[in-house]
Amino acid sequence: MIAELVSQISTHEAPAQALLAQTFVGPEVNWFALSPMLTLLAGALGMMLVGALTPAWPKGLYALVAAVTAGTAGALAMVQWDDITDNGPTTLVGGAIAFDTLAMFLTITICIGVLLVSMLTDSFLRGTPNEGPEIYALYLVAAIGGIVMASANDLIVLFLGLETLSLALYVLAASNRRSLASAESGIKYFVLGGFASAFFLYGIALLYGAAGTTNITEMVATFQSGVDLDNPNALALAGLALLIVGLGFKVAAAPFHVWTPDVYQGAPSPVTALMASVGKAAAFAAMLRVLVTALPFFRDDWRPVIWVLAVLSLLVGSFLAVVQTDVKRMLAYSSVTHAGFLLVGVEAAGHTAGELDPGDGMPSVALYLMLYSVLVIGMIGVVTVVSRAAGNRDGDSSLDSFKGLAKRRPALALGFTVLLLAGAGVPVTSGFIAKFGVIQAAVEVESYALAIIAMVAAVVAAFMYLRIMVNMWLSPPEDGAVEADAAGTGISIDLSSGLAIAAAVAFTLFVGVFPSWLIDAAETVNVIAR
Amino acid sequence: MIDLVWLVPLFPLVGFLTILVGGRKLGEPKAGYLATAMVLLSFATAVAIYFDLLSRDSESRSEVVNIFSWVPVGDLQIDMAFLVDPLSSTMLLFVTGIGALIHLYSVGYMHGDPKFSKFFLYLNLFVLSMTLLVLGSNLLVTFLGWEGVGTCSYFLISFWQTKDANATAGKKAFVTNRVGDFGVMLAMFLAFGAVGSVDYAVINDSALAGTMTQATATGIAALLFVGAVGKSAQLPLYIWLPDAMAGPTPVSALIHAATMVTAGVFLMVRINPVLGAAADWVPMLIAWTGAITALFAATIALTQNDIKKVLAYSTVSQLGYMFLAVGTGAYVAAIFHMVTHAFFKALLFLGSGSVIHGMNDEQDMRKMGKLFKFMPITASTFIIGWLAIAGVPPFAGFWSKDEILLFALAESPALYIVGIVTAILTAFYMTRQVVMTFFGEQKWGSHANAEEAAHLEVDDAEAGAAPEPVTHGAHGEFKPHESPPTMLLPLVVLAGLSMVGGIIQLPSLGFIPKSMQHKLLDWLHPLVEFGEGPEERGIGEAVIKDTWAYDNKVLLIGIAVACAVIGIVGAYLVYEKKRMKPIEPELFANGWNYDRAISWFMGNPGRKGFQGVADFDSKVVDGAVNGVATLVRETSSQVRKGQTGYLRQYAGVIGIGVVLLLGWFVVIRGIL
Amino acid sequence: MGALTEMMTAGLVAAEDSHGGAIAFPILTMLILVPIVGAVAVAISSKRRPEIAKLIALMTSVGVGAMSIWLLSSFEMGEAGFQFSSQHTWIEQWGISYHVGVDGISLFLVVLTGVLFPLAIVGTDPHHDEKPYLAWLLMLEAGVMGSFLSLDLFLFFIFFEIVLVPMYFLIGGWGYENRVYAATKFFLYTMFGSAFMLVGLIATAMLARDDLGRLTFDLVEIAEGADFAANTGRWLFFAFAIAFAVKVPIFPLHTWLPDAHTQAPTAGSVVLAGVMLKLGTYGFLRFGLYLFPEAAVWSRSLWLTLAVIGIIYGAIAATMQKDLKRLVAYSSVAHLGFIILGTFAFTSQAISGSVLQMVNHGVSTGALFLLVGMIYERRKTRQISELGGIQKVAPIFAAGFMIVMLSSIGVPGLNGFIGEYLILLGSFQTARWWTVVATAGVILAALYLLWAYQRVFHGEPDEDNAKFPELRVKEGLVLLPFIAAIVFTGVYPKPLLDRIEPSVDALVEHVVENSDFENPEYGTQCGTFEVEHEGEAAESHSDEPAEHDTADTSCDTASNGADHDDADEGDADHGDGSDDDSDDDSDGEDGHDEGEETGE
Repeated sequence: MIAELVSQISTHEAPAQALLAQTFVGPEVNWFALSPMLTLLAGALGMMLVGALTPAWPKGLYALVAAVTAGTAGALAMVQWDDITDNGPTTLVGGAIAFDTLAMFLTITICIGVLLVSMLTDSFLRGTPNEGPEIYALYLVAAIGGIVMASANDLIVLFLGLETLSLALYVLAASNRRSLASAESGIKYFVLGGFASAFFLYGIALLYGAAGTTNITEMVATFQSGVDLDNPNALALAGLALLIVGLGFKVAAAPFHVWTPDVYQGAPSPVTALMASVGKAAAFAAMLRVLVTALPFFRDDWRPVIWVLAVLSLLVGSFLAVVQTDVKRMLAYSSVTHAGFLLVGVEAAGHTAGELDPGDGMPSVALYLMLYSVLVIGMIGVVTVVSRAAGNRDGDSSLDSFKGLAKRRPALALGFTVLLLAGAGVPVTSGFIAKFGVIQAAVEVESYALAIIAMVAAVVAAFMYLRIMVNMWLSPPEDGAVEADAAGTGISIDLSSGLAIAAAVAFTLFVGVFPSWLIDAAETVNVIAR
Repeated sequence: MIDLVWLVPLFPLVGFLTILVGGRKLGEPKAGYLATAMVLLSFATAVAIYFDLLSRDSESRSEVVNIFSWVPVGDLQIDMAFLVDPLSSTMLLFVTGIGALIHLYSVGYMHGDPKFSKFFLYLNLFVLSMTLLVLGSNLLVTFLGWEGVGTCSYFLISFWQTKDANATAGKKAFVTNRVGDFGVMLAMFLAFGAVGSVDYAVINDSALAGTMTQATATGIAALLFVGAVGKSAQLPLYIWLPDAMAGPTPVSALIHAATMVTAGVFLMVRINPVLGAAADWVPMLIAWTGAITALFAATIALTQNDIKKVLAYSTVSQLGYMFLAVGTGAYVAAIFHMVTHAFFKALLFLGSGSVIHGMNDEQDMRKMGKLFKFMPITASTFIIGWLAIAGVPPFAGFWSKDEILLFALAESPALYIVGIVTAILTAFYMTRQVVMTFFGEQKWGSHANAEEAAHLEVDDAEAGAAPEPVTHGAHGEFKPHESPPTMLLPLVVLAGLSMVGGIIQLPSLGFIPKSMQHKLLDWLHPLVEFGEGPEERGIGEAVIKDTWAYDNKVLLIGIAVACAVIGIVGAYLVYEKKRMKPIEPELFANGWNYDRAISWFMGNPGRKGFQGVADFDSKVVDGAVNGVATLVRETSSQVRKGQTGYLRQYAGVIGIGVVLLLGWFVVIRGIL
Repeated sequence: MGALTEMMTAGLVAAEDSHGGAIAFPILTMLILVPIVGAVAVAISSKRRPEIAKLIALMTSVGVGAMSIWLLSSFEMGEAGFQFSSQHTWIEQWGISYHVGVDGISLFLVVLTGVLFPLAIVGTDPHHDEKPYLAWLLMLEAGVMGSFLSLDLFLFFIFFEIVLVPMYFLIGGWGYENRVYAATKFFLYTMFGSAFMLVGLIATAMLARDDLGRLTFDLVEIAEGADFAANTGRWLFFAFAIAFAVKVPIFPLHTWLPDAHTQAPTAGSVVLAGVMLKLGTYGFLRFGLYLFPEAAVWSRSLWLTLAVIGIIYGAIAATMQKDLKRLVAYSSVAHLGFIILGTFAFTSQAISGSVLQMVNHGVSTGALFLLVGMIYERRKTRQISELGGIQKVAPIFAAGFMIVMLSSIGVPGLNGFIGEYLILLGSFQTARWWTVVATAGVILAALYLLWAYQRVFHGEPDEDNAKFPELRVKEGLVLLPFIAAIVFTGVYPKPLLDRIEPSVDALVEHVVENSDFENPEYGTQCGTFEVEHEGEAAESHSDEPAEHDTADTSCDTASNGADHDDADEGDADHGDGSDDDSDDDSDGEDGHDEGEETGE
């Protein structure tokens, strides 16, 4: 079986007699092309081993190492990018991994995410039993998982990546041993995640049944030769449905979003940031791979579904955010709204999937993912800093804890305001560029209704952001808060988180004003390796 | 000279600005004299212009003087331009002339008023606007003055604004006039659409050339008449004028008798070719509005006890005469009466002002009487004014009224009857006033009587007209005193004019030398030489040459004199000799309850309606907006309940999602 | 790495270009940029020395004001097209460029913005947190300037949307009792409107791509190059119109306005009424009519009706208000109704009137809000019932209020009248019955303002009002420019009209060309009865060359339009402009003949 698979994979390289000789010839591997993943892997293993053998490292070094690893991986990815743009996309490991700009774009996104999150995590973990290499190692593992998902050219590989990511996140979610909420969120995420993964895997199986392969390239070829839309292929469609369920869960699209609020709220803030950024990016990358790349011939089947999911996510996310009283929970719902926006992009891609000019759908999604990741990490970073003030490590992230922030920490408040405005999609922020991209993609393929629904939902969602701003700017700080800050027992912004937030804000504004270089980059992701 | 016409409005402008800047420094009486001087200068200029025009042959007495291009947009080219012709020059003469006199009078009248200089500020602004109104070579410049005088009258009526009634009266005047302005503006729009300009020349020419369709002409004429009704206090918009008496008496004399209120008549004469080209019902409407207003106001005047209210209603009535003239095509007669009326009505108002002054701000004629021997000059001048308005020959009013009645009869006997009856009533109520004020028994004296004083207060409140009581108020023993010379001089001059004013337009009667006849007509010709439409044109009375009325002029004069006598004698018997009890029906006293009805309507249903709209806005329109917000909040808090936090329930939701999704494919794509 | 960095640098360079300005001095860019810089400077200025922040803010705003005046002075008169325009690629993938320019329609709005802000900064006092207050004000100025100047749909949207943020904070941070509600309502309501506009403008660019052959958001290119199928154009027009209708605001989308106005701090109300509402009316002209003439004509009766309703309804609602500021706010609803009426009348006069009235309303209502603010500062109340008799104790203050009020009522000789008159006169020719009703609104204006004035200023003051302080010198100096503008525009509007009209004529022509709309020709019933008037006129004409009496007496005003222009600062184009909108050539021809006859 394996052999067959292998032979199928490596027909062109492996000479025929190899088959007869029943000798296993592994696929030729371009290790350098895999360097980002390998770097992260090395980082993860290194931290585990060395960390286990050596006494506790000096403060912040774990975070630093993790950050540096992520950074290096990202840098390497950029180098690969160059290579791809010069020599065009290819597949690696015998067609199992796609080596294209989409993969690299998301690799970079994910690496940036991990980098920033690690910076947030350092001060967060100080003096907790978790202060050690494990958490960071898990970050890196999660990143690997995400990258694999983003660059999978084979559904099995994609599933492997998905599980790697998910498992890491399950553990991270529950990692705060002192907090019941953290444990609860871990359990919930684990159970439901498993549930979803099951669907996903089953979906893969059914699809395999229909196509006779799990390799995306071959799948496309198979369907190309023989899909007739008049008597539909039940297996394929059922598989498609289940895949959508699995993906919908991961991207937190309504109605598969139910886990999001509890998990986001319960998990340690930096982990929430990781989920919202890396998790979402990877999941959407996977969705693009599966739907747009692998199943373009079923686009008329899945596009309406995506349409419905998008509308549901937009409405549920924006409406439910209105009545929340906990900022992390609000952000959880807003992440559902953003998922809705991203789905608008996917829907747009669905109109032109598989055509010579695949349209702006995928680029807009990719762009949105990068901008949103940075944005959300910045937001949750602020939450982390503020909520830490309430004494316990991951305490009060309620709306009230933001009262009078402008009086207590003007700079922080200002930064948060910028991020919130970006979230609301106000111009001269990256948030606006992101929204503009997907809306433009949608309008280009004339799905006006979806575009308008999205914009109106954005207005409702804006109310939530305004509520937070009102609390920061227009309501007085709780008594004693200012004194506490002065005494140092209140909100204290440590260097690394400060840097992370500042970087996020700067990025948000910079891209808001000068987006063209990123758009340029994003536009290339249309060229998919098959 | 004519090119210097801009000096006429310039002088009051200068006065206005000077007082605006340095009024307080100038103070009393300098400010007053400055203002007077400025108006005098305008008058001098006007005289110069008059003679300049006189020196030209009658065909070339109309000239446009351009100051600057005012509102130029594409086809619309409106200039700040002055039209100098006999009509405007006539108006200028009496506006600035009487204006100057009244300025002088005010110096005495406003003596000791804390806002002395401000009064003259407004007065000069008024003269400025009035001259613009008269001189405008197009409807817009006229409208500028039109609104300007309206605004000034608003300022001056509510001059003693601390008294609420005065403030209300001012507001009422402004808003009521705005109703009329509505018509004037629409008329301008219509004219522009039709002839591409709002210049009198263009409008009138096209009306004369017959290129202007009758519909357009009718529209313009009717709409301008709406404006005239507002400005000249005709039915149904006269209501503001009686209340306007709340202003200082010189204001009533200048604005609400002599000049501003005649603007409507002037406008009608100005566009008389359009009236000619308009459908016949327009002149008819004008004539009847005038006639009925004249009668209506006269009946009210019969019963007023406030010395100024009598004159106010009489003014409304006399303006009615002028519109009657306009409606019957007697444009010259209208202008004639306008001028004579300006003389004697200004005289009467100033006289009453002098009386009020002498009586320490007492306005109730029931508390006067026997004043003749205390203020002889005032009294005798007042009597001249009375004879003039009563239509006793050879005083000015007689001639003008007679000519109007002549044309009225030529048009229709009904109009003539109304006119005659009004004439009788006029003579009657004026006599009543003279008797009650200057003769009869002395009804003033100690106001120590508390209840009477209280009654007086109430009365004033009703009249809404008594000016701020001056410190040496109306109580204790006091003697009425004659007014200072600054006030008497104008009285004397006006009295003289009221006597001889008639000569400017003597009728063509045998015993009057030809050279003396119809001076005004010759002067105003050719501006008003038109009858019905372009084809049948004639000069003044030529239009009615072949009517019965024209042939029996002398008889008519006899009737007119008789009416005057009847009125006078009747009133004399009633009020002086007490032969019979005076008949003063409540209905008349309350002005046929017309004003009350309107203010009731404004107060109750009107106000409720407005409030209704406001409530609609806050409850329905805004309610909808807030409703949406609440809706969002409600739904979300409902949906939120679904977020129980139980795993099984979450799994359930996901499960449902799966089922639906599969179901979708089953149904839509018909798999399985 | 390389490629990405290249892109990055490329992006950066492009961006820098876009700030390096036009051929000579990038005046327009500076108008937008300087306030931003000023805002940042204020924000980072020392906390302990608020006066420094105030000084910076003042200098910045005054500088911008001066620049706007300079712009006015060096504006080419009689030019219909855009001037001082500069264009730089910004996001080429999306065909978005930084394109700014000014024409007769936007010129005076820009100047108004430039002048209004310094006055608002001087004339008002936030009482607390002056630093952020000033910073937000300057940000607001930048946003407003940008909206008036940008000629790129994307750029316009950015500014149009960004102004919400400073305004939100100004209302929310320095407003009165109910400020948070008002601020949020304002923000969400306006954002709701622009939601549709964003979709609309993207769709516009996308659909125009087929005609233009490339994706671009450039206003001029699209307007001149693309023609949309009627149906499409209508949809797009409405997408834009909703946003503008909310901003104006047009009944029934107006209810955010009274709250925002009432709750905003004085400077906020001044700016809101003065310039921000104009974003809507300006948007209708610049984007609605210019991009989608056919749709605008097609839907005009809707807009005319709403406008008229707004005029009457706003006036009636204003009459019954108990809060002085609310009253003024509702009066804005009425006044903007006039502007919309004029906009959709499509005649040269009406639209010129609308543009002029935008400025007038900005001046007079801005001044009204300043005065109401002063009253509030003195009496700490806006309730009409608690005021009264102020004229007796503060005559000068009352006089100032009176002048501004009269201009708002529309009394001839003051600016308000000229605008209203042109609007109504122009509208009457193409929208007769709507105009008749609208003209009735003029009566109501007198009613509610005079009534309010009587209740506030007339009568005997009670003991609270008896202590009402007279107008202070500083306040007087702030008020003076407003009053000067009010009187000047009322007496001599020609300088403004001469600059506004060419652009308006071009717009009208554009509308007429691209729709089935027929502009009426005037003077058809015109006849000349006697030569005498012309003769006289001609004489005096020969006497003083500066005069042009033929305009008064001859019927043909088109040719006189030309005469006029030869007379004044010699701009010939203006004449053509006035010829253009009477779209019947023959009329123009015999017009000229007659002109010659009278000349002889």
